[in-house]
Amino acid sequence: MKLQSLLRNLGLTSLCVILSAHVGSPDAWFEGNAGPYKVTIQVQMPGVVPGVAQIFVRTAGDKPDRVTVVANKFDATGGAPPPEVATPLENSSDTYVARLWLMAAGSNSITVEVSGAKGSGKAVVPVVNVPMRRLEFDPRLAIGLSGIGLFLFVGMVTIIGAAVREGTLPAGELPSFANRSRARLAMIGTSIGLALILFGGWSWWSSVDSQYRRNLFKPIASKAEIVSTSVPPMVVFSVTDSDWVHRGDSAWARARQRRTSWTPLVEDHGKLMHLFLIRDDMGAFAHLHPTTSDSIAFESTLPPVPPGRYRVFSDVVVESGYAQTMVTTLTVGQGANGDATKTQLTDPDDSWFTGGAANTRSTMLADGLSMRRVGTAAPIVAGREAGLRFEVLNADGTPATLEPYMGMAAHAVVAKDDGSVFVHLHPMGTISMASQMTFSLRQPGDTIFGRLGRRLSAAEHSAMNATPAATGSVGFPYAFPKPGKYRIWVQVRREGRILTGAFDIHVISGVKSAE
Amino acid sequence: MATTVSTFGPTEASEARAHSATLAAEWPIYSVVFASTCIIVGLMWDISWHRTIGRDTFWSPPHVLEQVAAIVAGLSCGYVVLQTTFAGSDEARGKSVRFWRFFQAPLGAWVCIWATITMITSAPLDNWWHNAYGLDVKIISPPHMVLAAGMIGIEVGAMLMVLGAQNRATTERDRRRLGFIFAYAGAIVVSMAAVLIEENAAFGNEMHGSAFYKLTATVIPIFLVAFARSSRLKWPATTTALLYMVFVLLNMWVIQLFPAQPRLAPIYNPVTHMVPSPFPLLLVFPAVGIDLLMRRFGSDRDWPLALAIGVAFVGVMLAVHWFWGDFLLSPYARNSFFAADKWDYNNRLGPWRYQFWNLDRDASRNFSPLHLAQGIAVAMIYAAISARIGLWWGKGMARIKR
Repeated sequence: MKLQSLLRNLGLTSLCVILSAHVGSPDAWFEGNAGPYKVTIQVQMPGVVPGVAQIFVRTAGDKPDRVTVVANKFDATGGAPPPEVATPLENSSDTYVARLWLMAAGSNSITVEVSGAKGSGKAVVPVVNVPMRRLEFDPRLAIGLSGIGLFLFVGMVTIIGAAVREGTLPAGELPSFANRSRARLAMIGTSIGLALILFGGWSWWSSVDSQYRRNLFKPIASKAEIVSTSVPPMVVFSVTDSDWVHRGDSAWARARQRRTSWTPLVEDHGKLMHLFLIRDDMGAFAHLHPTTSDSIAFESTLPPVPPGRYRVFSDVVVESGYAQTMVTTLTVGQGANGDATKTQLTDPDDSWFTGGAANTRSTMLADGLSMRRVGTAAPIVAGREAGLRFEVLNADGTPATLEPYMGMAAHAVVAKDDGSVFVHLHPMGTISMASQMTFSLRQPGDTIFGRLGRRLSAAEHSAMNATPAATGSVGFPYAFPKPGKYRIWVQVRREGRILTGAFDIHVISGVKSAE
Repeated sequence: MATTVSTFGPTEASEARAHSATLAAEWPIYSVVFASTCIIVGLMWDISWHRTIGRDTFWSPPHVLEQVAAIVAGLSCGYVVLQTTFAGSDEARGKSVRFWRFFQAPLGAWVCIWATITMITSAPLDNWWHNAYGLDVKIISPPHMVLAAGMIGIEVGAMLMVLGAQNRATTERDRRRLGFIFAYAGAIVVSMAAVLIEENAAFGNEMHGSAFYKLTATVIPIFLVAFARSSRLKWPATTTALLYMVFVLLNMWVIQLFPAQPRLAPIYNPVTHMVPSPFPLLLVFPAVGIDLLMRRFGSDRDWPLALAIGVAFVGVMLAVHWFWGDFLLSPYARNSFFAADKWDYNNRLGPWRYQFWNLDRDASRNFSPLHLAQGIAVAMIYAAISARIGLWWGKGMARIKR
């Protein structure tokens, strides 16, 4: 394995992550139960299709006997292979690691099974497998290969020359002048031939590379604008991508030799879309749930956020479990926003927050409550689990009782100051609850679009209502993908009111995660 | 019988000693022919591995077999270079060619060393490729072609080493023995060529479309004709084609005995044993034609000969494989012996299994005998060009003595 890791290190030096289901944060995190075991699962996505994903499973409490993982794509007709046994991670007593080949692009599931003295149970982590990054060619590898390539070029020319010069001579006979001349001609001819082959190979490589770049994942195109003529003003988010707009239109797809295989939108946390507005300076934030009649234009009342240019992130999930974030911008002009007291919100779960982040680890919320980031004082390192945990306290310092907010004890949004990272987190991790349920609810008969979606909505509503109240402390399993300045908005609900606390987090550089 | 014992004199004894000394001196030939065999077995095994199990590593058994082949060929030939250059007898040096005016070894040894380095070079390139563009998305990719150049290099190098020995042989016994080994080394090269076009020209479903005949006409005659021209056997192309068929059949029959299961999702075809390669092409029939034509035309009318081979090769291929395709799609071929109807773990099985693919069609998408006839005519031109190159190459090889 040493040789392989050496080869891997030679090749894998610069990865440029583009976008994924979230933005700039391709790993999937899940925290929850696998039967009787509490597990935290991290899936490091390969970034190419097909590629090898690394799965880390951490168990809390009793040590299990066996941890296995298996991957499958969203397709009820394809069988799954026998699961892979995850091996204990070096220098760790509770973490197991496995490598899985992900063959199919699109929505895939990783099923982790933990078994031991307490019994056994499974956890499903939905992942979106798309080509996301282009690997640069390492200069050291390029120099090494070019050197050997040159040697092989010269070697082949020499061999052909020797064959023509001496190859046909009887044993012991020396080559004549004619032999030598013919050999020179053959060597020139071989050089030209090899040069043409190399040129052909280079063109081939270039065409593979440009095709790969064209197929790199791009979020579906969208735009956002404010309709200020209505009272109160509305923000209208529209999907402009022609593949999406013409989804299901087989004549349109055939004429353009395209395959529009989008399945219908499904609700995640009871909403078809979670729309986030984050002002460029991160001084204002809104979390909205627009309504739609055609799955193309989504409308929401504009909350009273201050003017400025906003980055717009829109999370949606389709029936296949494929979760994605659309990205666009929106400018809120002076006076465009409505009056806070008069605003009729589109959805009772809509919320917004204006102002800077807490300078310290604690920030005041409304109603005399406060929110505190807990955990060690050690700096947060990129690629390592950040240990994000927050406490909500009453004015007297006792833990506040929290109500479920859209089926979750808390929601958090992480954004990097340059807009290159955006993640919507829950205590269960980065994954979408709807995506996860598509894998547990699908049946072989789900061949008609929308059939699974309806069952999914029903199941989700009952699951959301069953979420118990939290005790004032919430954690989010997550690792920041790269160093830099981040802001996290943590949202909880208490007595029907949505409370938002903002914190700045500085992430330092470190080795890649889980090593 | 007693007389036989009493006349077992010094002459025969010294001849036997000389013969065993020749065999001992030929060890590099056996070594590279062994390496050449490992390469093609490893390749066929690896393809079956990808069709059955799906997932592999750098150290999967078929890969290890290929690495062993490269190492055996490279080390044997490296030793031959050092031995010939620094401690070689005049006779050994006389049978070698010089590299950079100093190093000496037989031509085939240089080709094998070049090929070994090429195979090794492809490993980091292929690894990078997998990380950059995905794992084995296609068989035909630039790093795989570098690897294939190395593999073919070892097979051609092995062939050249046998060839030099065959062309130097002075006794009829040696000539026949080395002629057979040469035919075997050639059969491995033909197997390699056939395996490389297996995706597009091997399944019965392909045998009613001109694409099958165009591809085989381009790839196969060049080798059969070149080997026929440089061999000392009476039926050289036929022997090579027969050895190719036996070799692929043995692989095909043996590999499907081993239980295996897919390790990647989604599995649409839950296979339980290694998926064998398709039945070999029935090359022995056109090969008989090649041998007969080459005997009839002699060696001084190569252009008409190439044209005749082109027409005969495609004509015989069509006559044989048209009906063979029908048979392979029939229920009688769906067994271990003919190994038809064996598909990959990730093939969604459907009616396409028993249908002909890539049929020649007209503008309204109906099967068109006219389009087929045009395609066959084009295939004959391809075969003639391929045969002409083969004649030229074979003529050169026939003169190789070192």
